Amino acid sequence: MNIPEMLKSLQDPMGVPFYPQVFRILLVVTFALHIIFVNFVIGGSFMSVYAYFRHGAFYKNLSKAFAKATTINLSLAIVLGVAPLLFTQVIYDPFWYTSNVLSASWMIGIVFVLMTAFAFAYLFYLKSSTGRRHIALWGIFSFILIILAAVIMHAVSYQALQPGKWLAWYMNNNSVDLYGAHLHAFQLPRFLHFIVASFALTGVFMMLYAWYFWEREDMDRKYLAWAGKMGARMAVDFTVLQMGVGVWWMLSLPATFHFYTNYMFLTGVPFAVVLLLVLIRAQSDPRKYALPVAALMAVTVFAMSSLREVLRMLYTGKYDYSVSNYTLNISYGSTALFLASFVMGIVIVGYMISVVFKMGRSAKPIDLSSLKLRTWSVYLMIAWILMMIGIGVVIAS
Amino acid sequence: MYPVWQFPAIGSALVIAFIASFHILPSHLATSAFWFNVYVENKAYKQNRPELLEFIKKYVLTILIFSFVFGSLSGVGIWYSITVSNPKGISALIHNYVWGWATEWVFFIIEVVAIYVYYYTFGKVDKKTHLTIGLIYALSAWISMIIITGIIAFMLSPGKWLKTGGFFDGFFNPTYVPQLLMRTSFMFAVAALYAIVVAATLKNKEVKSFIIRKASLWGIAGTLLGSGFFVWYYKALPDAAREVAGMTPLIPAIMPHIVIGSLIVLMLWFIFTLIKPNWAKLVPGVLAILLLLAGIFSAESMRERVRKPYVIDHYMYSNQIIANDMAAKHVKSNLAAIDAQGILHYAYFVPAGLRDITDSNMLQAGKVIAQIECSACHTLQADGWLRPLPAMVKKAGLSNVDDAQALIGFLNAFPYMPQFAGTEMEKKALAVYLVSLYK
Repeated sequence: MNIPEMLKSLQDPMGVPFYPQVFRILLVVTFALHIIFVNFVIGGSFMSVYAYFRHGAFYKNLSKAFAKATTINLSLAIVLGVAPLLFTQVIYDPFWYTSNVLSASWMIGIVFVLMTAFAFAYLFYLKSSTGRRHIALWGIFSFILIILAAVIMHAVSYQALQPGKWLAWYMNNNSVDLYGAHLHAFQLPRFLHFIVASFALTGVFMMLYAWYFWEREDMDRKYLAWAGKMGARMAVDFTVLQMGVGVWWMLSLPATFHFYTNYMFLTGVPFAVVLLLVLIRAQSDPRKYALPVAALMAVTVFAMSSLREVLRMLYTGKYDYSVSNYTLNISYGSTALFLASFVMGIVIVGYMISVVFKMGRSAKPIDLSSLKLRTWSVYLMIAWILMMIGIGVVIAS
Repeated sequence: MYPVWQFPAIGSALVIAFIASFHILPSHLATSAFWFNVYVENKAYKQNRPELLEFIKKYVLTILIFSFVFGSLSGVGIWYSITVSNPKGISALIHNYVWGWATEWVFFIIEVVAIYVYYYTFGKVDKKTHLTIGLIYALSAWISMIIITGIIAFMLSPGKWLKTGGFFDGFFNPTYVPQLLMRTSFMFAVAALYAIVVAATLKNKEVKSFIIRKASLWGIAGTLLGSGFFVWYYKALPDAAREVAGMTPLIPAIMPHIVIGSLIVLMLWFIFTLIKPNWAKLVPGVLAILLLLAGIFSAESMRERVRKPYVIDHYMYSNQIIANDMAAKHVKSNLAAIDAQGILHYAYFVPAGLRDITDSNMLQAGKVIAQIECSACHTLQADGWLRPLPAMVKKAGLSNVDDAQALIGFLNAFPYMPQFAGTEMEKKALAVYLVSLYK
């Protein structure tokens, strides 16, 4: 059995319940969302500790704000990670599952690594107001564990792209490695491209922080201006560094990919250049530029996520694997269920974000009971439950 | 076939079982707690008793940290552990139910956003808005249970799906409704147990007794209703599953006793706290939760075991071999191909030197066959935790190859065992390996 045959034999015989390109788009979009919050976690966790060691009230405030944000961002990063994890299993199942099994103990371990990182992040947040130096240890441990989780995820994703090496990784003479105790592949520039981006994005996060709280009466505007400035500086410095790492990564790719002439790549680069130019302008007034910079940054991350998919197509294409060839067993009913729920989710989450957005900008308690989406959100969910009962009754009869 | 993963001594199935049983606590708490929360918060506003809000703040922080640190991650942990233990099984589920899971993900996001908004808007927004956010949380968490129960129940009783392959035909299967109602009832008992633990630490005696009394009533109602639905659920099980349920040692005799015993003790605990709410203390409260954990572990283990020999009933064996054709989706059983080619040729992840069996590699080849076909349910080491093969070989007295080979030939005479898939030569190799364990 050669590698293309092996990959074909591993694909699920039941096929996919909707057009594979739809899963691919969902994979790219949800991965971009996931990685934005992962970046906030990595950069924010680092900043919470770094600022803790610096002197002055501004740094103290910043450390506290990042410690709190890290716990929330970590939750969101995890929950947003579920979707790309799901969609990758739909269209790239042979790659994802094999790589997971080959490093199974690490993949189970990552759950405990993250639980511990999370618990430490909470400890740091809840105890940091004491100001004692050793409290920083919780933050440091948390940061190290988060990086370890990133290393594991990177290795497993990278292993997945190299089916030619799987057998050798699994075999040990005439016996096999059942324990999945090793990580087998690591590509430094690819890994760094995620880590360096974290600091650029965290810089943008700080610009948004300054913009958002500016309106609030009880916030010190000097502090906000200071935080915004530091954020803008971080964003531009690390974007430049990120471009360097990007070139390094590109040069390390197999030459046969001709990646740099790929049209996706060629459309991705201008985004980064425009982002950099706007960032340079933003240095003078970070607060004013926070929103356009954030929008550009989001577009750039989305472009990067798309390029990552193009790269995956090149890696897997070497073995004649194409997502488009996946057997179709279309299920319109369940596709409609998801799409309807997804739209509903956007409405409800949108409502809650508007509540928290308005609340956060007000120094005093605020009455938001007149927001129209309030009752709609509840009705929508009740309608969803009734709809399922209806389908159930029809199926049973 | 994918490569095989085994955790030293423990195997792979038990890793799933440990993570999954733990997950039940935070997840059922996450699903249930807010019904109680919204109920108490509503009472606090209506009867103008702001002191009740003190309890809610404490309770929510517990849920926030416990459910969302350990609950969400252990949920991902179940997924990862199934992925590496049974990739073909999870792949089959995902390729049928990806939109179900994606829908659940939407509600999962609503939950996470709602709990943070609820916690951080406490006292900062009007009462109506705050209660609405609580209700959004409660509804979305319960909807996530509505979805995942369909998929769990599907694995045990796929019903019409086996013929039609339809998403909703499998989702609304024969054990779905009783299982959903049972889990929904018990989740209120879980919420009550936690509420009692949190309330036991309150200083305000009046609030403490008010909360504990209400929680005890919720607990009693949840436990009674849940037990009733359990009987319905049991009756709805496929005949084969009910038959297997009575078989030892597959289902250790003590398991049902643990389930029933834990329910009785919980009931007594709720009655006690109802009568003497101020006597409720932290330690017995936590012990009650641990007892519940033991009950859950036993009940969920039984649910997993009565499905044998399948991981998806009448479709795929626990060892990831597709046992029957599935015409609606044009899927062929793997058995004929494996019997013709041999499992060592059919599977890719096999050492090259073992694909063709000779006298000199027979023992090693037999071991690899056991890893592929047996290790999902049996650890291969003598000190393994999960039905270790060496112990079973000794118990069955398999001291010679002919006996062992004969036994392998009619494995599926045991209702919970799959049939052996492979050539006669491979059967012999497996027999040689099994007999080597006898010594």
